[in-house]
Amino acid sequence: MAEFDVIVVGSGMSGGWVAKEMCEQGFKVAVIERGRSISPTEDYSDFINPWDVEHLNRKTAQDLEDYRIQSEVYAFQSYTRQFWVKDTEHPYETAEGTDFRWLRGYHEGGKSIMWARQSYRLSEIDFRANKTDGHGVDWPVRYDDLSPWYDYVERFAGISGSVEGLEILPDGIYQPPHDLTCAELDFRDRIEAEFPGRRVIPGRAANLTEPTQEQMDLGRGKCQARNHCFQGCSFGAYFSSNSATLPAARRTGNLTFISDRAVHKVIIEEATGKAAGVETVDTKTGERSRVTARVVFLNAGTIPSTMIMLNSASEQAPNGLGNSSGQLGRNLMDHHSGARGSAILPGHLDKHTFGRRPNGFYIPRFRNHTEEAEGFVRGYGYQGGAMRTSWWSAMDKKGIGDELKFDARTPGPWRISVVAFGEVLPNERNQIRLHPNKTDKWGFPIPILDAAWGENERNMVRQATRDTRAMLEAAGGIDIQTEDPETVEPAPPGIGIHEMGTARMGRDPSTSFLNKWNQSWDIPNLFITDGSFMSSGGCQNPSLTYMAFSARAANHAAELMKDGTI
Amino acid sequence: MRDFKLHRRQVFQGLIALSAVGGIAACSEQTNSSSDATADSAISSGLFDAADMALIAALSETLIPRTDTAGAIDAEVPDTLQALATDWGDEGFQSYWLTGLANLRTVLNERAGARFETLEHSQRGEVLSAYDRAVFDGDIEDGFYRDFKNTVIQAFYMSEPGATEALAYEPVPGEWIGCVPLSDYPKNWAT
Ligand SMILES: Cc1cc2nc3c(=O)[nH]c(=O)nc-3n(C[C@H](O)[C@H](O)[C@H](O)COP(=O)(O)OP(=O)(O)OC[C@H]3O[C@@H](n4cnc5c(N)ncnc54)[C@H](O)[C@@H]3O)c2cc1C
Repeated sequence: MAEFDVIVVGSGMSGGWVAKEMCEQGFKVAVIERGRSISPTEDYSDFINPWDVEHLNRKTAQDLEDYRIQSEVYAFQSYTRQFWVKDTEHPYETAEGTDFRWLRGYHEGGKSIMWARQSYRLSEIDFRANKTDGHGVDWPVRYDDLSPWYDYVERFAGISGSVEGLEILPDGIYQPPHDLTCAELDFRDRIEAEFPGRRVIPGRAANLTEPTQEQMDLGRGKCQARNHCFQGCSFGAYFSSNSATLPAARRTGNLTFISDRAVHKVIIEEATGKAAGVETVDTKTGERSRVTARVVFLNAGTIPSTMIMLNSASEQAPNGLGNSSGQLGRNLMDHHSGARGSAILPGHLDKHTFGRRPNGFYIPRFRNHTEEAEGFVRGYGYQGGAMRTSWWSAMDKKGIGDELKFDARTPGPWRISVVAFGEVLPNERNQIRLHPNKTDKWGFPIPILDAAWGENERNMVRQATRDTRAMLEAAGGIDIQTEDPETVEPAPPGIGIHEMGTARMGRDPSTSFLNKWNQSWDIPNLFITDGSFMSSGGCQNPSLTYMAFSARAANHAAELMKDGTI
Repeated sequence: MRDFKLHRRQVFQGLIALSAVGGIAACSEQTNSSSDATADSAISSGLFDAADMALIAALSETLIPRTDTAGAIDAEVPDTLQALATDWGDEGFQSYWLTGLANLRTVLNERAGARFETLEHSQRGEVLSAYDRAVFDGDIEDGFYRDFKNTVIQAFYMSEPGATEALAYEPVPGEWIGCVPLSDYPKNWAT
């Protein structure tokens, strides 16, 4: 007899959803999380004032040593380092001539604590993209299969946004949007007039602007417009596993949360070829043990889940568990950024903003949609904001005394900043391998990340930079700053923090790892619903899609469990 | 805690006043000696000695004086810089600051024809203002002065008096409004 009905490996964005759904279906669920448990009172730093910040928020020498890679991300601050892994403890290598910035946090809730909450649906155009242009394999699902699940997760998670009726960016179920600023409204009008087919809309963010009873029953409250989200939110006002899915799972009484235990392998029962459970290592004591269950869900994050599968190789499956297709570890994607821009938008000097918006505006993809593109397939969307420049503009500037104080307290002009997130093509060359002999301190082989963006991404980032310039000019921007569109390169893999694709789903077991239910073709009681399943990436931030597929897969698995198929 | 802070503020005002009458001239050559008990126990100990701290206090308060709102000394900017240099700064940073301050002292004393911190507030303003202009107009190259000034600005506007008096601060705004009349919220937000 297995100890549990379901094992969920990892308690982040996707694992939280599987845990909730399975617990609510009445199954006994063990969530196995390699990091520590999170306690809002101890771990969240959302009540910190500017004057509580140590050393003017400068990174310490120790930070730069311990968190060499993590400390580069904007959400790493002196008061949020508790949410990032120490790079010294979690080494990885990149293949020669490649770069990959692997950003992550190992604790209850995973990256759902630090995420920027932008939540967009993929569209039918995205689900057809691989089939249309021949890159990767065709998604085994279409938008209509996912649409009810998007509804389902949005309703529970709580997304603020506006209904726009766009084919490229389907509408969902929204709480009231965050207003655009006066300068953004002006920008919107000018862009939409100058470029028919482009739209500037409020960002869609997983922040509660009008909480439902269901959300309040979980102890979640309205967003207080502090924009301290990546410090954790004591109001539970943005969606995280910690604020939403794990509490929902816990209240069923069916959840066993096992922290500080890393899963190293999936155990396969020889007689049946099915998963019997997982092998774990206590991250504090090094003690090894097994946990057994009828069904295993891997939700450790794209790279860790892939590593677990590769590390579970056996005589029967020499290239990694469930890897008869040979696709495990391949097609590593992210979103490329790099097309950035900023400018001053003249006017509106008699206007200001109130509160701190945890959000911005969004410009949905228009290339290869309402407008043609040369030199690349697919496209990009922009995220940005326009705010008045604040006290820091008194720095690097002439003036002392009254003049300096006046400069610092008087709102400056409106400055707009935008960045494009572009789609990365699935490419078998971009892959994750395990190191043949180096391991981490728990004896797990370290990964070698081997990914580089190609011509399509390069041409895209250059066009995105041209489009950025053109829009800033059309909006009457001055002091326009962008990279040189003729030479700009996409930011290196990893920086988008949207790693995905290394156990893709498909229609054919010989070319894909998972079927349309996120179920392993080879091992019917094994599911993966973190970003590994993504057959293509779209250009939208992916987490909402992971949530929808997680809920869908969990409910499907629950049916199979109930009818005895698995 | 409050009382202590208040006390420290008075002490810094006092430190400048003291130096104005030459009271701590004696310590300027003696690093952290206890020759002047008042000054020594008054300032936070660390990388900067009493003379450095007197200069830092004079410079900070000249850059960001108390007006109808708090000034750099009210906000304990010198202490913040002391802590930054002592606890955060590595050797490179520390020697950069010590050298930078020493140079700045020489240059300003020369321009003032007296020890900068002994000048009246308005005279300090004149001397520093002229120097500031020369640096930012590109007539004089002084990267340290730029860094120093930026650090003072940061230390002040991130402090409680800086954020809440000189600027406007709402720890928990409660809602976001994208477009409000400036006349309702005329000051920059601290964050
Ligand atoms: C700063 C930042 C901003 C972001 N902004 C956005 C955004 O705006 N919109 C968006 O859609 N996405 C955003 N993301 C990405 C988003 O956070 C991820 O897509 C999402 O969290 C991935 O979910 P996951 O379940 O795959 O992994 P995670 O949330 O990372 O969870 C994985 C969990 O598995 C655990 N784990 C790992 N290995 C093991 C093991 N061997 N055994 C047991 N447990 C293990 C980890 O500790 C972790 O808790 C952002 C991320 C960051 C860091």
